[in-house]
Parts: sequence; C-alpha cells; structure tokens
Amino acid sequence: MSQRNTTHATFVIERELAHPPAKVFAAYADPNKKAKWFGGPPEWNSEHTMDFRVGGKETSTGGPPGGVVHKMSGEYWDIIENERIVMSYELHLGATRISVSLGTTEIKPNGAGSKLIYTEQGAYLDGYDDAGQREEGTRELLGQLETYLNS
Amino acid sequence: MTTIAHATIAMERTYSASPARVFAAWSDVEARKRWSTPTDNIRIEYEAADFREGGKDVSRCIEPGNADYVATVTYIDIRQDRRLVFAEDVVHGEKRVSAALISMELTPKDAHTHLTLTMQIASFDEAGMESGYQFGWSAALDNLAKEFSQ
Repeated sequence: MSQRNTTHATFVIERELAHPPAKVFAAYADPNKKAKWFGGPPEWNSEHTMDFRVGGKETSTGGPPGGVVHKMSGEYWDIIENERIVMSYELHLGATRISVSLGTTEIKPNGAGSKLIYTEQGAYLDGYDDAGQREEGTRELLGQLETYLNS
Repeated sequence: MTTIAHATIAMERTYSASPARVFAAWSDVEARKRWSTPTDNIRIEYEAADFREGGKDVSRCIEPGNADYVATVTYIDIRQDRRLVFAEDVVHGEKRVSAALISMELTPKDAHTHLTLTMQIASFDEAGMESGYQFGWSAALDNLAKEFSQ
C-alpha cells in the first residue's frame, strides 16, 4: 500500500435562478428551508442538523432502507449575507471517510433573479468516490434547490 | 460584490527520513513551529493545538510592520504516517482572506519519504492568497528538510 491514494479535482456548477439573491441565500441559511431541498431521496429518511454561523456545523445522515448510511459532516468557514457561503465537508459511507471537500457558493444578482456559482475543490480518498460522481450528485441537489425555490 | 478566486497548488519533496519521522514533524507542534516559519523575520505562535480528527489549531503568523495572519485549522482526516487532510482559513487583520483544503501524503521510497502537498485554495476578494500559499509553503517544505539533516 505505498501508492498515493488521494485524488484532487475541482468542478463548477452554474445556475441561473428566477429568484433574487436574498431568497436563494435564505434557502441555505434557514434550517427549515434547507431541510426541504438538501439531502437524499425521501425514502432515505435523512436527519439534518445545522448551525449557520462561521465555525458552526452541519450534518445530514441517511441512506437507502437497509443500505449503507451516508453521512455528510460540514463546517462553515465564511458567510456573507446574500452573497457567499464557504464550507468544508466530509462524507462517510458507513464508517469509511470517502472524501473531504471545500465548497464555495456564490450568489450574484442577475436581472430580477440570481446567478448561483458553486465550486467544489475535493480530495477523494482511497478510490471510493470521484469528482464525476460528486458533480452529478451535486447537480441533482441544485436541481432540488431550484424545484424548492419554484414551489 | 464579493469575488472568490479558486486555485490548486501541488508541491513535492523527498526527505531523507522515514514516513514516521516526517509525519511526526507535522503532528508535533514544537517541530512545526521550527519548520513552518518561512523567513527569519516571521514568528509563529500557537494559541491552540489539538492534533486529532475534529481538533483545531489556531496559529498567529507575526511579521514586523504587517498585520498578523491568523490561521484556524480543523483536522479532518489523519492516517498515521500516511496522510493528513485539514481545512483552514486565514484572517489578516480584521478580514478573512481565504479558506483552503490541504492534503499531505507520504509515500516510502527506498530509505526516503516522498511528500506530496496539495493546496486547494479559495481566495476572497482579490486577496492574492494563492501567491501567499505558494511562497509560505514552498519555504516551509524546504525548512522541513533541516529537521532530518542530522
């Protein structure tokens, strides 16, 4: 086991949203709002906790019925109201840590709506995950955010 | 309007020491104080040091004539003698200037150890922290060799 076992990658996802920055930011900042879109499919019965302040923690725990538990544990590093959220998070599958990431969310005014730019700089550990899968999963999450905002 | 500049910097070094010895130079805060100082006129003081997963370090980088740079680290992944992953931010004066994810990996190579350092940096509001990381860590990794010179 002398092989290097961590791969690093960055991906960027941009979304134009028909909602002003304050509304988009609130979907991240308000625990009740974030719980409506953030997490796995409904059958995962995800449990969500968050303390939205610099140094505060967030967790989301759940998984397919009878399957392995997925746990996201994050920490907020920088928050600028209506503009920016920076967090690091790690992902566990069962007892195995599969990745550590730095995620930045930028929200910019765009006409009557907003432009959201999410950049994830990730370290994927020991071959359990990769940037392609993570980007796909994150695109689904941001799709859920958009559905929530439009509802 | 705020902006974020993202960058990734990778550095590699080979040290004449075992992975256990190189790892110990990272886990031991007294050793880190010696080698992580990039230049002689800069001093580093630790206000907190807690080397375990979930533990935090707070260090103050003091340079005459400049506001202090205060770095807060959260250790996330620690594999003894193999790997270290931590997140940190840097506050300069009153302003948070960056957040970064830093991975350090050690690979044995004959009687030596190959070290790879990968810094994934988000620099805020044109703070130019990419060049700060480049300069500071390049000098620190060179200094680290001196820990093993005897």
